[in-house]
Amino acid sequence: MSTLARIDDLHISFGGVAAANGISLTVEQGEFLALIGPNGAGKTTALRMVAGLLRPDRGRVFFGERDVTSLPAHARVRLGLGFTHQIVRPFYSFTTVENVMLAAGHRQTESPWRALTSRSRAAAREKARAILDRIGLGAQAGQSPRALPLGQRKRLEVARALALDPTLLLLDEPLAGLSSGEATTMADLVRALPGQGITVVLVEHNLGEVLRVADRLVVLDAGKVLAEGVPKDVMARTDVRQAYTGVI
Amino acid sequence: MLFVELIVKGLVYGCMYAMMAVGLTLVYGLLRILHIAHAGVFALGAYMAVTVTNATGSLALGFLVAAAVSALAGTIIYRLAYQPILHHQAFVPMVVSIGLFIVMQEALRMIFGAYGVAFDHNPWYVANVTLAGINLTYVEIAMVITSVTLLMGFGLFAGLTRAGIGWRATVSDPQMATSFGVDAVRVRYVNFLFGSALAGIAGSLVGLLNNYVEPTMGGAVSYKALAIIVLGGLGSVRGTLVASLVLGVVEAFGAIYLADIFDRDAIGFLFLIIVLMVRPQGLLGRSSGT
Amino acid sequence: MSAYIASLVSVIGINLILALSLNIITGFCGQVSLGHAAFYGIGAYTAAYLAKLGAPLPLTLLAGAAMAGAIGVVVGLTSLRVRHDFLAVTTMGIGFVFLGFVRKQKWLGGELGISGIPGSGLDPVSYALLIVAFAAAVMGFCLWIKHSWMGFTFDAVADDEDAARTVGVNVSTYKLAAFGIGTALAGLAGGLYVYFARIILPDTFDFVQSIAILTMVVIGGTGSVWGVFAATIALTLLPEVSRAAADYRLLIFGAMLMLVMRFSPGGLAGLVRRKPA
Repeated sequence: MSTLARIDDLHISFGGVAAANGISLTVEQGEFLALIGPNGAGKTTALRMVAGLLRPDRGRVFFGERDVTSLPAHARVRLGLGFTHQIVRPFYSFTTVENVMLAAGHRQTESPWRALTSRSRAAAREKARAILDRIGLGAQAGQSPRALPLGQRKRLEVARALALDPTLLLLDEPLAGLSSGEATTMADLVRALPGQGITVVLVEHNLGEVLRVADRLVVLDAGKVLAEGVPKDVMARTDVRQAYTGVI
Repeated sequence: MLFVELIVKGLVYGCMYAMMAVGLTLVYGLLRILHIAHAGVFALGAYMAVTVTNATGSLALGFLVAAAVSALAGTIIYRLAYQPILHHQAFVPMVVSIGLFIVMQEALRMIFGAYGVAFDHNPWYVANVTLAGINLTYVEIAMVITSVTLLMGFGLFAGLTRAGIGWRATVSDPQMATSFGVDAVRVRYVNFLFGSALAGIAGSLVGLLNNYVEPTMGGAVSYKALAIIVLGGLGSVRGTLVASLVLGVVEAFGAIYLADIFDRDAIGFLFLIIVLMVRPQGLLGRSSGT
Repeated sequence: MSAYIASLVSVIGINLILALSLNIITGFCGQVSLGHAAFYGIGAYTAAYLAKLGAPLPLTLLAGAAMAGAIGVVVGLTSLRVRHDFLAVTTMGIGFVFLGFVRKQKWLGGELGISGIPGSGLDPVSYALLIVAFAAAVMGFCLWIKHSWMGFTFDAVADDEDAARTVGVNVSTYKLAAFGIGTALAGLAGGLYVYFARIILPDTFDFVQSIAILTMVVIGGTGSVWGVFAATIALTLLPEVSRAAADYRLLIFGAMLMLVMRFSPGGLAGLVRRKPA
C-alpha cells in the first residue's frame, strides 16, 4: 500500500497552550484510519491542520508527494481532500440537493471566470441526486436542511464531501450527537467508502463503533501520538487505557 | 511648540469623540448593532441645548434638558426600532438605523430650518485662556472636563456598583447574567439611556464650540465615532477610549501635514483603513484565530 | 420623446446601472458596501477629465469603468481581511477618503468639481436611448450571472463563506470578482452621468448617495434583479410624480428603509417570492 498522506511533527498553540505538540502520522491508501484519544488530545486540531483550516506553527503536511502545508483549504479540496465539520455547516439558504450540487459542480466553480461562462446545472443535479439516493437522502432532496433532523444533516455533510470526488476524506466526529441506531448506520456508511476508492480518516469519541469499523487506530494524548496499530492491540495497552480513565 | 499644541488640540477633540463613541460601543457590545442613528441623538441634544438656553438664558438648564431628551430619545429608539428586529441578521438593524438617522436629520431640518441656529449669548465661544503657551477656549476645556468626569463616573459605576457589575456581565454573557438574576432588558435601557445622554451632551458642547447648530452636524462626528469603535475593537469600552484619543491626535496632525491631499474628515478613515489592513481586529480588538 | 422625458429616462437608466452594480456586490455575493458612490465618482471624474482633454466618448466610458473597477478590486482586498460590520465601516470610510481626496485636488476642480464638459455628440433623446441600451445590457448581464455557476457560487459565499471553502470555492477570488464587476459597472454609470450633466460636483458622490443606491437595492430585495429594477424605477419616479415627495425625498427614503426592513427584510422581492423556511 502506498502512503496517501503524511503529517510531520505538527505543532500549534492557542493562547499559550500547546494543542499539538509534535504529531506525526501516515495515512495509507485505501485504509480506514481512526484518530482517537481523550478530550483535548488534539484530534480535531490535527484533522483541521490536514484539511487546511488551521495553519500549524511548525511541521509539514504532505498529500501524496506534495507538500501542502501552505496551501489554503479550498486548494486542498481541489487536490482530492474532502472534509466534514463536527458541527454541521450546510448552506441553509440552499435545498438539500443544491448543497450537494455545488460540490458536484466543483469543476465549474474552480475560477470565477469559468463559473461565469458555465450555465448548465443538469449534470451536477444528476450527480447530486445519485449521491443522495446512495446515501439514503433521496426523498429529502427538495427540502431545506433546516427541516432535516441531525442524523440526516450529518449524512448531507458526507454527501456534499463525496460530491467533490475526494481520494481522502476527513471526518470530524461524524457520529457525535447521533442515537445508537443512527450511529451504526453512519458508521456502516463510511465504512464502505474505502471499497469505493476513498481513503477515510476520522476523529471520533464513539469508541464502540470505531473499534468495530476501523482498520487502524492512532491514539493521541496531550498533543502527541501515544500509540498506533490495529484496534485489538492498541486497546490492550495499559498506557492507552490509562489515558482514557475518567473518560469512558 | 506646534507639535505639543497639535497633541493637545487632538486630545480635546478626542474627548469629544469619546463621548460619542462610548455610547456606540455600548450598544454594539450589547446588541451587535451599528447604531448609526446615534448621530441623530447628537444633533437632537444640540438643538435642545440651544433652544432651551436661548429661551431661558440658562446654559445649565439647556444642557440638562439636552441630556434628558437625548436619553429619552435613545431608549425610544431602542424600544421601537431595534427591539422588534433583533432576531434578524445583522444587516437589517444596521439599515434600519441608517434610515432612522436620515429621518431624524430631516425632521430636525423641517422643524428648525436648514440654516442652523446659534446661541444668542455665548461668551464661552470666544473667551479663552493660555495654559503653558497653548491657547484653549473655555468650551474646549469644558469638553475635556465633562468627558473625563462623565466617563470616569461611568467607569466607577461599572466597576463598583451592583448595577454596574450586572451590566458588565450582561455584555459579556447575556444568558449567564440572566441566570444570575440580572434583568437583561433593564440593562439595555440603561445602556441606551446613558449612551444617548452622553451623545446629547457631546452635541451640546459642539454646538457651543462652534456657536452653531445645524441638522447635519451629527453626520461627521458619528461617522468618525463608527471608525473609532471599529479601531478600538467593537464592543470594547477601553479600546474605544484609547482609539478616540488616538484618532483625535492623528486627525490634528493629518489635517496639517496632509492638508494638500485630503480634507480633515478623510484623515480619520484613512487611518482606520490602514490599521485594519494591518490588524483586522482593530488596534485593541482580540484576534479571533480560526 | 420630449426633453423632459429624455432626461427622466436618462436618470432612471443611470440609477438602474448603479443599483444593479451594488446588487452584485451586496446582493449576490453578500459583501456589504456603504461606499458605492465613490466608484460612481471615480468613473465620473476619470471620464470627465479625459473628455475635457478631447478623448472620444467610447474611450472615456471605458476608462471610467476600468479605473473604477481597478480601484474596486483593491478595495475588495479589504473584504478579504474584514467582514460584516467591520467591512461596513471600512467601505463607508472608502467613500469619505474618496470625497476628501477629490475635494482637495485642484487639478480635479476641488470643491467646485469639473465643469464645461463637452457633449456626447448625440441629441438628448438619442443619448437617453444609449443609456437605456447600456442599462438593458447590464440588466441582462446580471440575470446571466444569477443563472450561471458564478451566481450559484456567490450564493454560497454569501450564505457561509467558510463552508464554501470546504467545497473547494476560492472565496477570495470570488469576492474580488464581485467587487471588480460591481465597481466597474458603477464607474460606467459615472461616465454616462458625465455627458448627461455636463458638470460634476464632489457632493454628488457622497455618503447620502451611497445610501440612496443602497435603498434601491434593499427595497427591491437584496439579490433580486427584477426587484431592484422595480424599486429603482419607483424610487426615481416618486419625486417626479409627487411634489410633496420631492420636497421630502430624503425623509421618505429614510422612512422606507426603516419600514421595509422592519416588515419585509426581503424587500419587494421578499413579498412576491415565498422562500422555503
